[in-house]
Amino acid sequence: MTVAPGLVALLVAVAAGMLISVLKSRHDGRFRAMGNDPEPGKRPALIEDLELGERATLVQFSSAFCAPCRATQRILSDVAGMLDGVRHVEIDAESHLDLVRRLDIRRTPTVLVLDADGDLVTRASGQPRRADVIAAIGKAVDHAHLST
Amino acid sequence: MPQPKVDPRGLRFAAGITTVLLALTLITGNAWPLAVQTAVFAISVVFGVQASPYSVIFRRLVRPRLGPAAELEEAAPPRFAQLVGLVFAVAGLAGYLTGATVFGVVATALALVAAFVNAAVGLCLGCEAYLLIKRITTTRTPATTGGATQP
Repeated sequence: MTVAPGLVALLVAVAAGMLISVLKSRHDGRFRAMGNDPEPGKRPALIEDLELGERATLVQFSSAFCAPCRATQRILSDVAGMLDGVRHVEIDAESHLDLVRRLDIRRTPTVLVLDADGDLVTRASGQPRRADVIAAIGKAVDHAHLST
Repeated sequence: MPQPKVDPRGLRFAAGITTVLLALTLITGNAWPLAVQTAVFAISVVFGVQASPYSVIFRRLVRPRLGPAAELEEAAPPRFAQLVGLVFAVAGLAGYLTGATVFGVVATALALVAAFVNAAVGLCLGCEAYLLIKRITTTRTPATTGGATQP
């Protein structure tokens, strides 16, 4: 049994593993800017019958067998409790598949940040960091002011 | 939502040991570390991840030095991931033991990628496969409306 193929395979495997790890770390929990800015008064409700927070709403899509969903739920409700006018809503993806399809929810947890009018300001998939959630709420507060 | 069951830090610890054993196999060309890992995979699949020798080591040696787990995790997806690992490990063993070394190396290397990313960033590829399968094989829930219009 020669050693060389194993060493080559190990190097390739570790390189691939590192690449995947870096990509995942960079993607997870990162809030992406939304490009759309429709005119006031023409927006349909993003999610019907959703009670909005006065300043922002954090909408979290979760599912069973999702450990990061639990951690995200704690982070979001913690932040929402800390700030006035911020509401945290958790939606079970599996029992709201219509929403999942309409909003293009591809994995859980996915967090949508809505401004005071219920417009989508930014979103992230994967567990976010507290600081990033707070920054996203800041964007939502700014967004509502800009569109009035 | 169902109650979680296992300490995720134990899972990552186990993934770390797995990575080491698979790497040793590839470095030395010797199938023994792989054989040990195959047995460990089998124990996890048959008796659950908490029965794995790595879990035992984690509970006895590592966890007492850590605080309590911030949260626990469902046991079913990692157990399925161990089954996926078992399949690759058995394939690898078959390759090494029958002289089909390249096949053995490739199977072992693929298992190593999964163990590595699990240990490094907690990404469990087998778990993701489990969820995907569950999603595909679950019938449409009664709560959906207008789902028939989607392809």
